[in-house]
Amino acid sequence: MALSPFGSRSPSMTVHSPNTAIRLRATAAQNSSTGTASAAVSKPVQNGDRELTEQLNIDVRERYVKDRKVGEGTYAVVYVGHLRHDPSSLVAIKKIKVNAEYKDGLAMDAVREVKYLQELKHPNVIALHDVFSSKDQNLSLVLEFLPGGDLEMLIKDSDIQYGVADIKAWMGMLARGVWWCHENFVLHRDIKPNNLLIASDGEVKLADFGLARSFADPLFNMTHQVITRWYRPPELLYGARQYSGAVDIWSMGMVFAELLLRVPFVAGNTDLDQTSKICEAFGTPTEENWPGVSKLPYYIATDKAHLVPLQGRDFFMRQFPTAGPVGADLLMSMCALDPRKRSTAVQCLRHNWWTIEPRPTKNEDLPRKSGGTKKMGDDLTRRGGELDEGMFKSAARQLDFGMK
Amino acid sequence: MIEDDIYRASSQYRLWSYTEPSLQSLRATTNAVASERVRAALRRSCEAHQSTATSAAGTPLPESNMEVKNKDEKDVECLTPEEELVLVRYYCEKTLELGETYKPPIPTMVRATAIQYLRRFYLTNSPMTYHPKSIMACALFVATKTDNYYISLRQFADGIPGDTTTEDVIAPEFLLMQGLRFTFDVRHPFRGLEGGVLELQAIAQGQGQPAPHLPYETAEDLQQGLLSIAPPPVPSSSMSDRIARAHGTTRELLKSAAQMTDAYFLYTPSQIWFSAFLLADRPLAEFLLDVKLAPETDENGLVNPLYEIRSKLHHVLTECSALLQSYTPLSSDPAQMKSLKRIAKKLYHCQNPEKVNLAAAQKRESTQPSTAVQSDAGIVTSESETERLAKKRKLEQEQKVRQEDDVFGPELVTQRTKQ
Repeated sequence: MALSPFGSRSPSMTVHSPNTAIRLRATAAQNSSTGTASAAVSKPVQNGDRELTEQLNIDVRERYVKDRKVGEGTYAVVYVGHLRHDPSSLVAIKKIKVNAEYKDGLAMDAVREVKYLQELKHPNVIALHDVFSSKDQNLSLVLEFLPGGDLEMLIKDSDIQYGVADIKAWMGMLARGVWWCHENFVLHRDIKPNNLLIASDGEVKLADFGLARSFADPLFNMTHQVITRWYRPPELLYGARQYSGAVDIWSMGMVFAELLLRVPFVAGNTDLDQTSKICEAFGTPTEENWPGVSKLPYYIATDKAHLVPLQGRDFFMRQFPTAGPVGADLLMSMCALDPRKRSTAVQCLRHNWWTIEPRPTKNEDLPRKSGGTKKMGDDLTRRGGELDEGMFKSAARQLDFGMK
Repeated sequence: MIEDDIYRASSQYRLWSYTEPSLQSLRATTNAVASERVRAALRRSCEAHQSTATSAAGTPLPESNMEVKNKDEKDVECLTPEEELVLVRYYCEKTLELGETYKPPIPTMVRATAIQYLRRFYLTNSPMTYHPKSIMACALFVATKTDNYYISLRQFADGIPGDTTTEDVIAPEFLLMQGLRFTFDVRHPFRGLEGGVLELQAIAQGQGQPAPHLPYETAEDLQQGLLSIAPPPVPSSSMSDRIARAHGTTRELLKSAAQMTDAYFLYTPSQIWFSAFLLADRPLAEFLLDVKLAPETDENGLVNPLYEIRSKLHHVLTECSALLQSYTPLSSDPAQMKSLKRIAKKLYHCQNPEKVNLAAAQKRESTQPSTAVQSDAGIVTSESETERLAKKRKLEQEQKVRQEDDVFGPELVTQRTKQ
C-alpha cells in the first residue's frame, strides 16, 4: 500500500504539508520575483543566499511572535508568544541555549525532546507545534501554552483543597499519557509532579522529554542514572542497565502517593538514603520476593535482623486511607518492588478504581491556582532529572510507616 | 486503537511517506530549483572573476565580455534527478561502510537511520548544492545521537579515514536537521523481523499461539502446518536451521536493499520486512501469512472473509519485493560504477561554488558581526568570497587533472575493509 501522508495537528503544518513540491515551487517563484509582500523576502541581500530548507525554516519562524520571557534557566529560555496572524492563539516558545562547553552540536536533551515530542501526539502529552532555528543557530521549540501551572504547585499550596475525585481525574490523565508513551515504545524517565503541567482547561500534560528514550532492544544496556531521585524505582537505584516501562510506573505510583499525602512519600537525601527509605516503606528486596535482585550491581544484602517484610495490602490501606481500599490496591500494584510484578500502563488503566465511586472530577471543576504561566516557564527551562533544591524542605516531615 | 493508527501518528508516515508519482515530482522540483540556483551562482562567480580581470587590464571590449558570458552559461550542464539519485545512493552505501570502520562497528540500526536521514535530506536538497560527501559523516554522527549510541564528536571524527576534522563533521548539523524538518525518529523493519522469527521459532517448538480470530487452531496444528510446508530454496538440516537461515538472509536484505531503494518512502516497516522475508524463503513467509490471516479458503472450500485484505496485501508485498530485488550494490557493478564516475565528473562542474566549504563558511559567519551581512558591506564580502572560491576551484581543478581516474579524491574506506 503506497501511503501518502496527510496533515498534522500542528497549527502551522502548512509548511510541513505533504505537498512540499508545490510549496517548494512557490518558494522558488518568490525567490525569482522581487518585491513580494512577505517580510522574509524583502531583504534582498540575504535572499540570494538562502536555500529552500532555510526558507522553510524562516517561514516557520516568521509565523510566531515572542511576547515576553517567562522563565530562564541554564539550559533554556521560555517565552510566551502567539501566532502572528492570530494574537489570541498563545504558545510557549522554548529556546535552547547553546552550551559553549558542549562542542558536539545540538545537546542530547534537546535531541531527545524534539525526537519524541514529534512522535507523541496525545491529549496528555505536551504538544510540539513547530521547531525552528534562529539566525545564531539556536533551536526553538514551539510548545503548547499551559498556563495552569503544574501538579507540584497544587500539592504544595495548603490553601488548595482537593479530594480523591480530583486525584482520580489527575491520575487518569497521567496514566493515559504514560500509556501512550509506552505504546509508542518510549520511556519518559523523569515523571514527577513538576513535569505534569496543566492546561487552561485543566487537562494534565506530561512534559520534559529531555531524558526520554526508545525501549532498548533486548540485552542492550541503558543508563541507570535517570529519573529524579524521589521518583526513582529500586531497580535503577540498584544500577539495573536493562529495564522497561515499569520504571515510569513506579514514578507514577510515587506521584499518586504524593497527591494523597501532599508530601513526597519517600524523599531520600542521597541515592543510598533513597534505597533504604524504600526498603523501610515497602519492604526489603530479597531473592524470594524479587528473583534476580541480588545480581544487580549496587544491590546490598541486608542482614536478617534488619529485613523489613514485604508490605501487604493492609499497609497501603492504612497508609493511604483517602484512596479507599480499591485505590490503595492500584497504588500497591504500581509500587511492586520487582519490576516484573509491577502493573503495566494498560493494567493500571484497566483497574476498577477508575470506574467505582467517586467518579473523577470533570476538568472544568478541578482545583486550580493562578500564577501558572510563571511556573510553566520555570518547569520548561529545567534540565531533565534536576531536583529543585529546597523544594519540600519546609514541608518534609519524617514519615512514620507504622513499623515501630 | 490498532497498530496502524499508531503508525499513522508517526512522523515517518506524516512527513516521509509518498506515492511513487509524488516522490518523483518532488525530486524533479528540487532538481529544477537547484539547477537554476547553480547557474545563477556560477554566473555570479564568473562575473566576479571578470571584474577582477577588468580592473587589472583596463577597459575591456564589451563584445568579448558578452561572448565569455554566453559561453559559460552554455557550458553549465546540471545533473538530472536520476543522476542525483545514483549519487545519493552511492553515499548511502559509503555510510554503511563508514560505520563498519569503527571499533566496535556502529550498530546496523544507527547506520540505517543515518542512511534514511541522507535520503530524506536529498528529497528537498540537491547534491549540486550540498555535496553528499560533506553531509554523510554528519548524518551518521547525528544518528548516533538520536539512536542512543553516543560517541563524542572527537572520537567520531578520529574514526573517519582521512583528515576529517570535528568542524567538518558538525558544520552541516543544523542544515541537515532543517532538511529533516526536525523529525529524528526513523521506524525500521528490523524489530518486526525479530518478532516474526521468534514467533516462527515458537511454532516450530510446538509453543505457537493461534491468531485471535482463529481460536480453533492448536499449537500442534501450527507445528504440523509448519513442518509440512514446501522445502526451502536452499536445503537445511532442520526447521530451526531453516528459520535461522531465512532470518539471516532477510536481515542482509534489510541492511542493504531496503536502505538503498525508496522502500522506506513507499512502504511501512512491516511491509518491508515481510517482503524481504518472502524473498528469503517464500514458503516460510507464506506460512506465517496464513497463520496471521488464514489461508485463502478453509478446509470446506469456503472463502476466507479476510480474502480481500489478503489479496491487497499480497499485491503490496509483491511490489515491495520487486523493488528490493531490483537492487544491486553500485560498487559490485562495473557498469554502474562507470556511470557513477561520469556523474561525479559532471557534478564537479555544476557544484554550487557558494556552498563548497560549510565549515569555513560557518566560522566566517560566527566571527563576523551579523549586521554586516545585511548591509552593503555584506555584498562586498560575499563577492570577494565568491572570488576566493573561484580561485580555489581553479587550484583544485589543476590537482584533479593529476588524479583524473579517482573522481572522489582519496578513497574514504580502504579496499581491504570493503571485503
